[in-house]
Parts: sequence; C-alpha cells; structure tokens
Amino acid sequence: MGPKQKGGGSKQRGNAAEEVEETLQAVVLADTFETRFEPFTLDKPRCLLPLANTPLIEYTLEFLANAGVEDVFLYGGAHSDQLEKYINASKWRSLSSPFKQLAFLKSTSTSVGDVMRDLDGKHLITGDFIVVSGDVISNLPIEGALTQHRARRAANKDAIMTMILREAGRNHRTKSSSSSPVFIIDPTKDRCLHYEEIDHHSRETTRLNIDSEIILENAELDIRQDLIDCGIDICTPDVLSLWSDSFDYQTPRTQFLYGVLKDYELNGKTIHTHIVKDHYAARVRNLKAYDAVTKDVISRWAYPLCPDTNLLPGHNYELRKGNLYQEQGVTLARSCVIGRRTVIGQGTSIGDKTTVKDTVLGRNCKIGKNVTLDGAFIWDGAVIGDGTTVRHAIVADNVQVGSKCIVEPGALLSFGVKIADGMTVSEGKRITNAPREEDGGAPESEPEVVGEGGEGYEYVPYEDEDDSDTESNASSGLVYNMAQLSLSTDSISTLSSDVSDYGHSRSGSFSSSGGDDDEEHFVHDAATSVYDSLRDGVTSDVVQLELVSLRMTANASDHQVRRAVVSAFMKRTQQLMEGGKAAGDIVRELFGKYREIIERSLFDRDRDAKPDQVDLLLLLQQDLVHRNRGDTVLLFVAKELYDLEILEEEAYEQWWDDERSSSTDEMKQVRSQTQQFVDWLANAEEEESSEEEDDDEEEESDDE
Amino acid sequence: MPSTSMALTPGLASFLRSLKTNPIDTSIDNLISLLKRRQIRHSRSCATATAYLLLRVISACRTSDAAKLIERVQSVGRRLVAAQPKEMVVGNIVRRVLGLIRDEAEDDREADFNLSEASESQPQTPRALDGSDRGSSRPPLSQPAPISMFSLLSHPEPETSLPGTPASASPSGRLLGHVQSKDVRAEVLEGVNEIIDELGQVDDQIAAYALDHIHSNEIILTHTSSTTVQKFLLKAAAKRKFTVIHAESYPNNHEATHATVSGNSTGDEEILSTESFQKPLIALGITVILIPDSAVFALMSRVNKVILGTHSVLANGGLVASAGTRVIARAAKVHQTPVVVVSGVYKLSPVYPFDFDSLIEYGDSSNVIGYEDGDLVDQIDVQNPLYDYVPAELIDLYITNLGGHAPSYLYRIVSDHYRKEDISF
Repeated sequence: MGPKQKGGGSKQRGNAAEEVEETLQAVVLADTFETRFEPFTLDKPRCLLPLANTPLIEYTLEFLANAGVEDVFLYGGAHSDQLEKYINASKWRSLSSPFKQLAFLKSTSTSVGDVMRDLDGKHLITGDFIVVSGDVISNLPIEGALTQHRARRAANKDAIMTMILREAGRNHRTKSSSSSPVFIIDPTKDRCLHYEEIDHHSRETTRLNIDSEIILENAELDIRQDLIDCGIDICTPDVLSLWSDSFDYQTPRTQFLYGVLKDYELNGKTIHTHIVKDHYAARVRNLKAYDAVTKDVISRWAYPLCPDTNLLPGHNYELRKGNLYQEQGVTLARSCVIGRRTVIGQGTSIGDKTTVKDTVLGRNCKIGKNVTLDGAFIWDGAVIGDGTTVRHAIVADNVQVGSKCIVEPGALLSFGVKIADGMTVSEGKRITNAPREEDGGAPESEPEVVGEGGEGYEYVPYEDEDDSDTESNASSGLVYNMAQLSLSTDSISTLSSDVSDYGHSRSGSFSSSGGDDDEEHFVHDAATSVYDSLRDGVTSDVVQLELVSLRMTANASDHQVRRAVVSAFMKRTQQLMEGGKAAGDIVRELFGKYREIIERSLFDRDRDAKPDQVDLLLLLQQDLVHRNRGDTVLLFVAKELYDLEILEEEAYEQWWDDERSSSTDEMKQVRSQTQQFVDWLANAEEEESSEEEDDDEEEESDDE
Repeated sequence: MPSTSMALTPGLASFLRSLKTNPIDTSIDNLISLLKRRQIRHSRSCATATAYLLLRVISACRTSDAAKLIERVQSVGRRLVAAQPKEMVVGNIVRRVLGLIRDEAEDDREADFNLSEASESQPQTPRALDGSDRGSSRPPLSQPAPISMFSLLSHPEPETSLPGTPASASPSGRLLGHVQSKDVRAEVLEGVNEIIDELGQVDDQIAAYALDHIHSNEIILTHTSSTTVQKFLLKAAAKRKFTVIHAESYPNNHEATHATVSGNSTGDEEILSTESFQKPLIALGITVILIPDSAVFALMSRVNKVILGTHSVLANGGLVASAGTRVIARAAKVHQTPVVVVSGVYKLSPVYPFDFDSLIEYGDSSNVIGYEDGDLVDQIDVQNPLYDYVPAELIDLYITNLGGHAPSYLYRIVSDHYRKEDISF
C-alpha cells in the first residue's frame, strides 16, 4: 500500500521478494488432547492456565505476532467456549491486533490427527503455515527457518515440513525427562531421517531401531537426543493431505513424523529440521515443564517474554533486584521476607513473618502470617491461612487453605478447593472440586482428604491398564524430587485413552511394549493397502493375497489383521456414505463382495467361545465410535454379517455381554442402535429353540 | 504491499509504513506492542517512531483547542511510556511535543496582548528562566549549532538567525505580525516535523564538532557500535590520522561492534538505512584495534580520549549507557583520561536518577550463559544488565547537537527543552 517508506523499503532482506506472495498462516492447537494438566483441565482449558500470571496462549500468540503471522486458526478442544470467550475479549481481537484474521475453529476432534484432517477438509490453508500447540513459549524470530524452508521447497517440492528444534545439553530442566525424542538427521541436508522416542521407564525401548538402509545410504548421520522439541513446525499444505491419507495417525510426532519418514520409499516426502542454538523455545508439555518454563521466564531466559513486559493490558509488573517482579498495589507486611525469583500480582497481601521464595503469586491472594511458600504456584484469589507451609505445589484460583496446614511437594489443589485448618495434603495428591464425570452432580467432599468443612475430593486420574505404577505415580504433576520417575508419555484425550482400554490401539503411549511399533505399522500398512484395493474394486482374492503376504512379512497376529480389515472397511463405508449412498446398500455391497476377507480372519467357527468374532465386533464398534453416524453403520454391519453367516448368534450374545463393549459412554452410544438387532436375534433364537435359556443380559451390562 | 511488511518480522520500518494506512488507535496499540516486544529498540528508533506517531495523533485530532490537544498527547504519551519505561526517549519526545503545544497556545494568547509582546521579543539579555525560554528553546535545534559550550550562555547567534529559518515555529510566527487566526495545530505539526528532522540530522550535527575534539595521532577509546560515535570518528578521520581502540561490549552488542569495526554491517536492523552505506573507519586508513572489554584498564594508560555513545542522558549529568560503560569511565578517571560523551539532545531526559537501579533493563540471560548448559541454568541466577548508570563525576564533556557542555550544565538544557509542567506528565 502506497510507496515504500524512504529508508525502510530498500533495507529489506534479499528474500523479501519471495515472501511477498504469501500471507503467513498459523494453526494453533489450543488443545493438545492430553490429560497431563488434570485436574486443572477439568475446569479450564489448558492454554488458559497461567504461567507467571499470564495465560499460556498469550505467549503463543505473542510468538506468532513476533513471527509476522497474519492469519491464525485456533483449534479449541475441551472447554472451547471458555477459550473462545477469552480470545474474543483479548487484544488479539481488537483492531490493532497484529493478525488480520483470527479464526476460532471448533471441532469434535479427539486428536491432533483429527484436527489436521478437519483442517484439510476446510481448505483454509493457502500456503506454507506454522503449526504450534497452544503452549509454546518462544522468542525465536522464525524468519531464518522460514527462509530455509522456502528455499528447500523451491528446490524440491517434496520437502514438506521443517521442525524447529532447540539445542539443549544432556540434562536440562526444560527437556522432558521421561521420554526423550531421538532425531536422526542428515546434517548435510538438515533432513530428518528417523525419529523415535526413548522411554526411560521401560528397559526394552532404550534401543533404537534404525533401518540399516539409513546407515548405508548416508555418509554422515547425526543421532541427537539433546534437542528440545518445541512443537513448532513449518508445513506446506501437502502435510495436511498426508494426514488425510493416513487416517489412523493421531499424534504429530510418534505417528505422523515416524510414519512419514518410514514411508519415504512410498511417498518420497522429506522432513527437515532447523536446529536453533540461541533464542528460547519450549513447550509447556506437562507440569514439570510448567515448573521449568516458569523458572525460565522469571530468570529472563525467554526475554523479552518476561513478567515485566506486561503482555496483558492492565498488568504492570516491575522488576526489582533478584528477579523479583512485583505489580503495583501489593501489600507486604514489614517483617515478611520476599526471596528471589518471585512474582507477586496486584492486590496480594502477605502477612507478618511470612517467607516467600521461588514462588509465583497471582492477583488478590491473601497470604497469612508465618506462612512459608517455597517453589509454590499460587494462582489468583487464593487464600492461605496463618502458619501454613506450601512447597512445590500448585494452588489454583480461589483455593482456600486453612491455617497450620502443610501442602507437600507435588500436591495440586484445583479450582475452588477448600482445605480445613490443620490438614496435611500429602505428596503428589490431586484435589479437585469439579463436578464428577460420572453423575455430573455436585461433588461430594471427602473429609478425610480436605478435613471437616473443606470442599473437594481426591482426583484419581484415569490410567491406562498397562501403565505401570511408577508412571501413574509420576504423572501426579510437579515432580521435583522424583526426576527418575517423571511423567508418562502422551496419553491422548480421554476419549481415545478410554478406547485404548480395549485392544491395543495405542493411545500414544508409544513405547509401552516393545513390539508395538511393528504392530502399529503393520496395521497402518495393511489398512491402507486393503482400503486402496476396496476403492479400486480389486477382487477379493487379490486383496486376500496381499493381506496374507503383508501378514507374513510383519508376522502379525490375527487381531491385527482384523484391526486392519475393519479400519479399511469402515473408512471405505464412510467415504461412500459421504458420496450420498445409503448406509445399508453400501454395507451390503461391500461386505457381500469381500465377504471372504473377513471370513478368513476368523478362526472360531466350530468352537463355543467365539473370541475372534467378538473381537471383530468390538473392533468395529470401536472404530465406529469416531465415525460419522457410526451407530447406524454398526447396525447395518451387524445385520449384514449375520445375514452373510460370517458371524453367529453366539458371537453377538457374547459381544453384547462383553464388558469392553460397554466400557465407555461413547461405546455404549455407538451400539445403541444395534440393540434392536440383538433383541431380535435373542427372540428369534428363543423361538427356534424354546428350551434354551434366555437371559436378558442387556440390562445388566448396561449399567456398570 | 502490506504483505511485504508482514511477512517480515515487524519493526520500525513496517510500523512507519503501516502508520499511513492504519487508524490512529490501531497505530498506538501497534507501537505499544512493538515497544513491549522490543521490536523497536535503540533510542533513535524509539524517538522516530514516537515522533511520527504523535504527528499522526495531532493531525487526526480535529480540534484547535490547545488544552484538548495537550490532554490527548498526554494520554497517548502516558501509555507509550508505560509500555517501555526504560526507553526514556519516548517520554522526552512526548514532553517536547507537549511543550510545543503549550508554546503555541501561549503565543496565541500573547498575540492578544501587544504590550507584552514588545518586551518579550528582545531576548538578547540573558534569558530569564521562564519567560523567554519557551520562545527560543525550539529554534536552535534546527539551526547550524553554535561552536562551543559557551556560546549557549551568551547566545548571540541563534537570535539573529532566527527570522532566517523558515521553519522556526513560534518566534517567527510572532515576529511576522500577529496573524489572528493562527491555527495552533498546524504550527504544532510543523514543530513536530522539525523534531523529526532533528532526529535525522542529529548525528551529522554532532559530527561537525569532531575536528575540535579529535587531534592527529591521538588514541581514542570507544565502546559499542553507536552510530553517533562512528559518524563522529569518521568525520575526524576524513582530515586526521588517529588510532581507535574499540572495546567489543560483550555480550549484548559484540556482534554489531565486530560488524562496525570490520565494515560488513548488513544494515543493522533498526538503525536507519543510511548508515549501512557507511564506510568503516579502516577504509579511511584509520587503525582500529578491537579489544575485549577486560583489556580496557590495561590499555587506558595509553589512551588520549574516551568517546562514548549513550542510551539516555539524565538531568544531573549522569547517563544510562550500554553495560560496560561505567567500567570504562572509571578506568578513565583513574588515568585522568578525558571522557567525552556524544549524544543528541533528544536523549536528554529530565529525570533525576534517585533510584538508578530502576532505569537499568535486564536482558536475555542466555547471552551470558548458553541456555543449552542445563546444569548451570538450573543452579545459578544469571543477570544480564543491558545498561550501566554512569554518574556525572566520571564524565568530562558532553557533545550534543547544540555543542559541548559540562555535565553540570545539562540541567539548563533540560529546562530549555522541557516545560516544568510536563516533566511528570
């Protein structure tokens, strides 16, 4: 617009010409579909949790503004209404916002993969874009990486993604200590060749499986474990279509990155790395990282993202000696001692002889007399009674802790909890006051946890069955002195982790067992192959042949074969349904034509127990949970399989009774329509052989 | 064309470009966030951005009532200063603009009283603190500045040349006869434009004094990559041969310093573009010796003169300059080496450093210790002050675009430039 400003225009870097063409877009994954911030995320979306008294999302948007991003697409997950409200009221929505467009997208996604596929469907992305999660804190100017990325892409269309990684030493507080990503990089081209995560808990996975070809083909290899993966990716639109093609990818690293690199032979796409040696970049991926990043921000490693930059309008922090940040209007008793690395918000009062250090205090907190706060995170409006000690714990908004309490390290007190006088909140305990999931009613307090007159109950996080005890222990948050344990790896959204309860659909706990990788890849490969064949209308013999050969090479189990088959069939069904056909017709056609494939994955025809058939039904049910109109499809499929005599009545019965099929609300819901069919089946059976006992188990299995 | 600027990291250039098209409130917020994010830093850039913004604010403000104008500028100024209290030039520019408006308003009023005008237009007599200051405070800035510090005291030349300068705002307006319907706003805008011109010329004006201070075969010690200092030295280098010892000012400015010394500075982002075409001293045959900061004391005994740039100058004659300056000034004191500070008048701030800790900004810790060193990061507190406070007694001479002044004289320039009522606006 208008002529260039006198000096300004001529000064632009050489790459300016390239950058003229495109507006820079960014996708913010406000929900990362993980449960690591529970119990706080029961009440508030994760990216609104305050870090040094500023919501996490502010840092991320600030980073994008710094990078000169114009269009931002914000994907909300849980509590997206709260987030939307917040964003609408924030400065990012005002006229002076550096973003031309800030779109808030809602989706029913349950994983990053779903978000990406949803985004692909919306056709919003026009050029290169940046993907960040809503908890990135960085002062990195992205220009350098962007220029490199564009240069690479100009040279080679297949260079689809550049990951930004921050170099850090072997031990670093900001690095995740439970599992560390390993990048195998070709340093001459900055190309990432292989990716794996090493889990420090399990012995089996402390080895890397590197394809021998990688070693043979590359003269030089860097195997690096010292990188902080800050979750900032520069992507081309191709990335989205790749996500769409691989419909079972959920996580961006352990599945997408790993898969794409593995399939290099097939798709020829390359992924590159940009390793930065200066500037700050980190993700608040779990509570331990929360603690570390807070320290970094307070110690000015992330400068200029410091409390005294006052990112939020209305904040007025000032820096005092010893990294003490204080807002105006703080009341400090004369005899209180405020130590180093402390942030104190407006309206907070601190009583006599209280000592505070390494602590973040929100606004309007009331800290009594003789209190000791060390390494604590006290959010807005919390009240802490006289003589209480809080060490290395998080005390959320409007929590009241009585006098003479002890809050031990790692304790998490969620929003609105009240702790009665003289209680001890033991190490690693999580207390919440959020409505319980099951009944949704007002929560009952547990006096043994919060004392007489207190409010709140202990939150017991959902854990995968295969999670070891140490892990569940470790995930209790701000693990300070439990470095050897630390947090579990990704446990994705509640939904998919529930699903993973059954079967081995890995909920991102990538390394829970040694053979998991192979399994996952077999399922993925086989499903893709079967799906392609279904789409192309190849005869069932050919499909079967292919499947068998895949199975032989991967030495896959029957269960995996069924999983792959179900996944492919359902995807095809879904696709045809979107094409406007009736579900019944599709199912009849598809299963009629490829009956053999399914039949030959079942081996329990002549036995009483029908584990294989039940397994198939469960897989179907589980797959359909995520799909559009899954309940209808399940009904049709169940009927069709019965009509084709692939499955027998007993299998249906056993399936219906199987507790796994009704383990979660989603599962129950998806099979609700099938109820009529099962009822009919039971009745038909009755009529046929009236002497057979009919036990009406549906009711029983429903409520548990 | 906006996409050009947006694809790049925002900065002064993109801000100035967007200023023309954006609504005024957007621009204010924009500058605030740029200041907060330190995307506009360095005194000159901040001053330029502030001046241009105020120009827009005033021209958008459709009133001829001076009081309203003052109120508006004050409110904008307060927000800008709150955004980055450590960039003191922002406050300085706001105060100067406020002073301009007040002058115009009072001139207007005076125009009604012809009596007072006659006596006031004779400022040859040593000026009374209040009355005539405001008349003559602005004009000298845009003029060829006087030769020595004493000329300011006697002040004969500026007054004679006054009517000659076409742009000079208040006095000429007054002398040209009392145009009754004088538009305050137009006059103020002209004045702001003058400030902007001053910001552009200030280095050259300062450099004009170079030959008075740098003599042949002297050894000059300097610090940081300040363009003011560089121009000053370059001007002298055109005529004389001398040696420059350059301390590298690790860790916050060493890269820029190295670039300045070796002459391959690739257009140091914020600093206006003309500098990037500048030849380095070595191209003019000057010997430049780059030393680490730790060697300053050892070499000080051989140095004839220390020339320093600054971040801002305070009313008591002390200064806030990039970290390391105080060490150099102390070392110079021990060796009785004269310390000369070159600084535009716009950096002169009416602030007294009662608590100079609060004036010092702390920067990125990772410049001191690499962030990748996890064990250290976890166990030590790193502080990286960007600025030093140098007390007035360590400075021997200030050279501004008005000439040379002793530190003890700065309070006079402060009272010349800023109205008392604006000091804490």
